[in-house]
Amino acid sequence: MASSILLQQSIICNTQFGKSIKNGWGATKSNFLEKGKKIGDIKARVAVDAMETAASPTAFPFFQTQPQQQDTPASKLELADPEFYKMGFVRSMRAYGVEFREGPNGFGVYASKDIEPSRRAKVVMEIPLELMLTISQKTPWMFFPDIIPVGHPIFDIINSTNPETDWDLRMACLLLYAFDHDKNFWQLYGDFLPSAEECTSLLLATEDDLKELHDDDLASTMRKEKARAREFWEKNWHYGMPLKVKRLARDPERFIWAVSMAQTRHINFRIRVGSLVQDANMFAPYADMLNHSCQPNCFFHWRFRDRMFEVMTNAGQRIKKGEEMTVNYMKGQRNNMLMQRYGFSSLSNPWDVLPFSGNAKIHLDSFLSVFNISGSHEDYYHNAKIANEGDSFVDGAVLAAARTLPTWSDGDIPPIPSLEIKAVKTLQQECQQFLAEYSTTSKQDQKILDSTPEMSWTREAAIKYRLHRKLFVEKVIEALDIYQDRILF
Amino acid sequence: AYDAQTVLRGGIAVYFPRDPVARDRIELRLGNMISGCGCLPNKSPLFFQTSLSGSFPASVWQPKVRLTTAKRGPLFPCVKCEKKDKEEDSSEKPSFEKLSVERAPYHSYRDSISGQVEPASGARASILGQDYLPEGTVGQARAAGAPGPSDESSGTSSYGKKPGSRRKTYKAAGAVSESTEMNTVVDQVVEDDGLFERSEEEANDEFSDFVVYQKENETDELTGYDLDKKLGRPHPFIDPKVRKPIKEPLTSEELWWNWRKPDKEQWSRWQRKRPDSETVFLKAMAESGQIKLYGEEPTLTETALYRARRHLYKEERLQAEHDRLEKEGPIAYYSEWVKAWKKDTSREAIQKHYEETGEDENTQLIEMFSCQTAREYRIMMGTDYRVSRDPLAMRMKEEQIKQIWGGDPVYPTVNYIQDPDQVIDFRGPDFHEPTPNVLAYLQQNGNITSREEMDKILAGEKVEQVKVKTPFSDDEAMAKAVDIGEKEDSDDEGKFGDDENITRNWSVLKTTPELRKSKPKPARGKGKMTLEEAIADSENLTDFLLDFDQDKRGRHESTVLSAFHPQKILTVCSSFGLEDDFMLWYIIIAGTVSKYHKSKTCSSN
Repeated sequence: MASSILLQQSIICNTQFGKSIKNGWGATKSNFLEKGKKIGDIKARVAVDAMETAASPTAFPFFQTQPQQQDTPASKLELADPEFYKMGFVRSMRAYGVEFREGPNGFGVYASKDIEPSRRAKVVMEIPLELMLTISQKTPWMFFPDIIPVGHPIFDIINSTNPETDWDLRMACLLLYAFDHDKNFWQLYGDFLPSAEECTSLLLATEDDLKELHDDDLASTMRKEKARAREFWEKNWHYGMPLKVKRLARDPERFIWAVSMAQTRHINFRIRVGSLVQDANMFAPYADMLNHSCQPNCFFHWRFRDRMFEVMTNAGQRIKKGEEMTVNYMKGQRNNMLMQRYGFSSLSNPWDVLPFSGNAKIHLDSFLSVFNISGSHEDYYHNAKIANEGDSFVDGAVLAAARTLPTWSDGDIPPIPSLEIKAVKTLQQECQQFLAEYSTTSKQDQKILDSTPEMSWTREAAIKYRLHRKLFVEKVIEALDIYQDRILF
Repeated sequence: AYDAQTVLRGGIAVYFPRDPVARDRIELRLGNMISGCGCLPNKSPLFFQTSLSGSFPASVWQPKVRLTTAKRGPLFPCVKCEKKDKEEDSSEKPSFEKLSVERAPYHSYRDSISGQVEPASGARASILGQDYLPEGTVGQARAAGAPGPSDESSGTSSYGKKPGSRRKTYKAAGAVSESTEMNTVVDQVVEDDGLFERSEEEANDEFSDFVVYQKENETDELTGYDLDKKLGRPHPFIDPKVRKPIKEPLTSEELWWNWRKPDKEQWSRWQRKRPDSETVFLKAMAESGQIKLYGEEPTLTETALYRARRHLYKEERLQAEHDRLEKEGPIAYYSEWVKAWKKDTSREAIQKHYEETGEDENTQLIEMFSCQTAREYRIMMGTDYRVSRDPLAMRMKEEQIKQIWGGDPVYPTVNYIQDPDQVIDFRGPDFHEPTPNVLAYLQQNGNITSREEMDKILAGEKVEQVKVKTPFSDDEAMAKAVDIGEKEDSDDEGKFGDDENITRNWSVLKTTPELRKSKPKPARGKGKMTLEEAIADSENLTDFLLDFDQDKRGRHESTVLSAFHPQKILTVCSSFGLEDDFMLWYIIIAGTVSKYHKSKTCSSN
C-alpha cells in the first residue's frame, strides 16, 4: 500500500536542479496511509488503545518503528555536504528540525524529526537578510543588502532594463555581481547551485530539446526568452565595457545560466525593512532548496523585527520525519507555465487545462461526487474521509479534470444517464484526438526515458513534459470511464 | 492534579509543564503502561541512563518519568528487554542516533558544551522557558539552541567561479569528463616539465584578468634579524648591523667643549619646519621673482627676515600715512574718502571758516563725514572686499593657498593650531657654540669692578652711607632725594663713556665693533639726550613706569630707559657702595624724576 504510493512518488519526484515537483496529493495520501499502517502496529502490540489512537490526531511516536523510517523519501537521499549548512549557520542562518539532502535529482529539504501539529505555524528555517540578494521590483532600484557600490557600471546595466518585464535580467546581474563581490556569501553558496549542465530550465535547452517538447507555443516562447537574454548580454558585455563588468560573465552561456537561476529560484516577496515596505525579487539561500508542491506543507514569511526570512510549516499540519518540505512556487498555473519558468512539469497539476471545443457537457455535481471531490471550484480537494480505502485513483489530475471538463449544473436537476454517457463518449473521443496529435505515445516516451539514462537534463525535462501531458489526457479518459461506470449507482 | 506538580526524584525537584497536550500524553502513557503486558516498547536511551546508572540527565523533565515508585518497580525488566532490541537496531544502523521519544519540539536542546540534551525550560535549565524570556529574545534563545553542523566537508569553495561544483551530482557527472581531461593535461605537463619550467605560470597569466606588477614568489629571502622581526620571533630592538656601540659617556664639561655639529642636520622629525603662511608666501614670492631664496625651501633666517621686513614696511607705510595726516590736517586727509565734499580743505580755508562761523576743526570734520557714503566709509576703513589687498596672495596657486588656509575659509585646518605670533628660535644649529667670555671682556675694559675693589670702595664709603641713611625717616628721604638725584646725575655723565650708550644688544654690539661704527652720529645724537630732556618728554611717572620695559614709545623713551635702566642704576649704586639699597635708590631717583617733571611743566606753562 504504502510502497505503491512511494513508487508513484519516485516517478513523479523528478528533481532536476534542486527544485523538484512533488505530488502533493501523494504526500497527503501517504500521510493517511502511514497512519493506517500505524494503527496496524499498535493493534499488534497494544490492543486496548487502538481505537483511541486512531481517533486522536496526535500520533504516538512511542510506537514508531524502524522499518517505517527507512521508507521515507529522505532516507533514499544522502545528506548534503555539511559545509552547506555550516556556512549559513555561522552567518546566523538556522534550520530547525529540517535537514538538507541531496539525491541524483538535486537538493531537497526534509524533516529531520517529527513536527507535531500546532496551532501556530512553526519556524523551520530562518535566513537573515544579509545572506539574501534582493532587488526591488519597481524603480527606484533598492538592494538589500546593498552590495552594489555607487557608480558601479553594473548598476547602469540594471537601470537600463525594462522595469516591467526584465526582472530576471536584473536578478541575473545581481547574482553575477554577488559572485564577484569579495567575501559575499553567494561565492560560497554558488557552489551548491545547479550548474549549467544540471539546470533544467529551458533557457539552457538546445533546439532539439525544444522540439522534443511537442509544444510549439512553449518552444517559441523559450526561443524568444533565450534571444532576449542573449541580446542583453551582447548589449552590455561588449568589448568596451570595463573589466569589472566584463569578468562577471565572460561568455553568454554564463549569463544565460544566471538568468535561468533567476527564473528558477527567485522568490517574489514583500519585505519590510525599517519603515520601508517593498516588493522585492529575492534570492534566498537555503529557502530556494525547497521543492515545489501543489499541496505544500511550508510557506514563506518575512519577519520584520530582525529581518529574517522564515520558512514556516503550515499550522496544524503534521510532518513526519523524513518527509519533504515543500512550498508552492506558483498558484493556479498550468504545466506549460511551470515548464517555462522552472523547467519541470507535474503529472498531477490540479490546474492543468484541456482545450475542449465540442458541445458535450457532463453533470458537474455527479462528477464531483463520483470522485469524492469537495470544495468550491477554486479549491477542490479530495475528501479522503468519505472515500473508500485503497482508492488511490483520485489525484491532482482528476481535480484538474473536474475543472477543465465542460460541465453543466442546473440546480437540483439530476443528470439523465444516457445523455451523460453520450457526452462522456464525445469527450473521450476528443481526448483521443488530443493524443493523436502527438507523434509518440506515452509508452514510447516512457521507453525513451528508461532506455537512455544519461540524457541531458533539459532533454529529459522536455520529454517528461510531453509525457505528463499525455498521461494527463489518459487520466482524464480513465476518469470519464469510471464516471460513466459509477453514474448509474 | 497535574498542574506544575513537584515530584521528588533522587532528592531533586522536578517541575512539569502545564501544557494540556503533554498532560494528555502522560495520561495516555500511564494507561498504556498499566494495561500493557509489561513489554513496554520504550526506546529512549536517556530513559535507560536514568533508570540504570542513576545519573540525572535531561530526560527526567519528560512527562513519562512522572510515575509513582510503586509503578516504576515492575517496569525495569521490560526496559532491559527493550535495551536488547535497541542494541540490535543500533547494530543494524549504527550511524542513526535514535531519539524516538517524542519531545515537545523546543523544550529541550542539545547543549554544545556538555554534548547532552538539556531542558530548555524548568528550574535547572540554563535557558529559561519562553514565559520567562523578555520580549523578542525567544527567537534568540531558540537560535542558540539549534545544533550546529559538526561534520567536516571535503570540498573547498570555488568562490563563485564554478557554480554547482560542490554538488554531489556535479562531482559524479563532471568527474568522468574531467578526469579524462585531467589525465591528458597531467601527461602533457609531465612531458613539458623538463623542457619549460615556466609553462605553467604563463598559462596562468593568460587567464588572469589583472595586470600583475610583481610576482608573489619574488619575495626576497629574509635572514637573521629581518626574518626574526617579520615572524615576530625574539629579536633585538635595534638592527645589530646598524647598531653602533655606545662609547664611554663624556662629562658635561667635555660635551660642552667638544660639541660638534651633527652629521645629519635633521636627526629628528620634530626638527622639521612646520609649514606656515610665511614660508608659503616666501616661496610664492620667490616664484614670482620678487625675492631670491638661497635654497629650495626658505631657511629660518630668511623667514625671520621676511617677517621683520614685512612688519617694518607696514610700519613705514603707516608712519607715512600718519605723517601725511599731520601735515595736511585731518579734513584734507580724509576728504579723499568723501567725494561729495567739494569745499576747499586747505588749512587756510578751515581757519577762515572757523573765524566766520565759530565751528572748530573737529566740528567741520564731523560735518564732512556726514556727507560720506557707506561705500566710501568701507573703502576708507579697508573693509571693502572689492579692493584686492595682497596682489601676491591673489595670484598664488590653489595648492599654495590651501597650504595656508587649508582650503576652508571658515575652519582653516592646516595652520589652525599655529600661533601667528610665535617667536622663532634664532639660535640655529650652532647655538651650542661657545659664546665669547663676557666677563673677561668687561674686566679688560674696566667695565666691571672686582670684588676687592668693591670691598675697598665700600669700606671707604661706609661711614657716609650710615650718615646719609640714618637721620631721615622714609618720608624725609624722599624729600632729600632731590639733591642726591642731581648729584647722581652729574656723576653719571662724567663717569661713563661712550660704551655706556650701548644699552641694547650689548653683547652683540660689543663683540662686533663694526656695527657700532657704521652709524655713529645720528644714532648717537638721538640717543645722547640728557636726563632733563628725557624727563620732560615723559608725561608722568606712572606712564613712565608702565612703559618702562616696552619700547613702544620710540626713541625718547628708549633714552629714558637707558638712563634709568635698573642695571645702570645698580651699577651706579654699587659704585657708591650702595648695592644693598638698590631699590631704595631707584625709588629716590624715580621720585626726583617726577618732581623734576612737575617743576618743568609748571615753568613751561
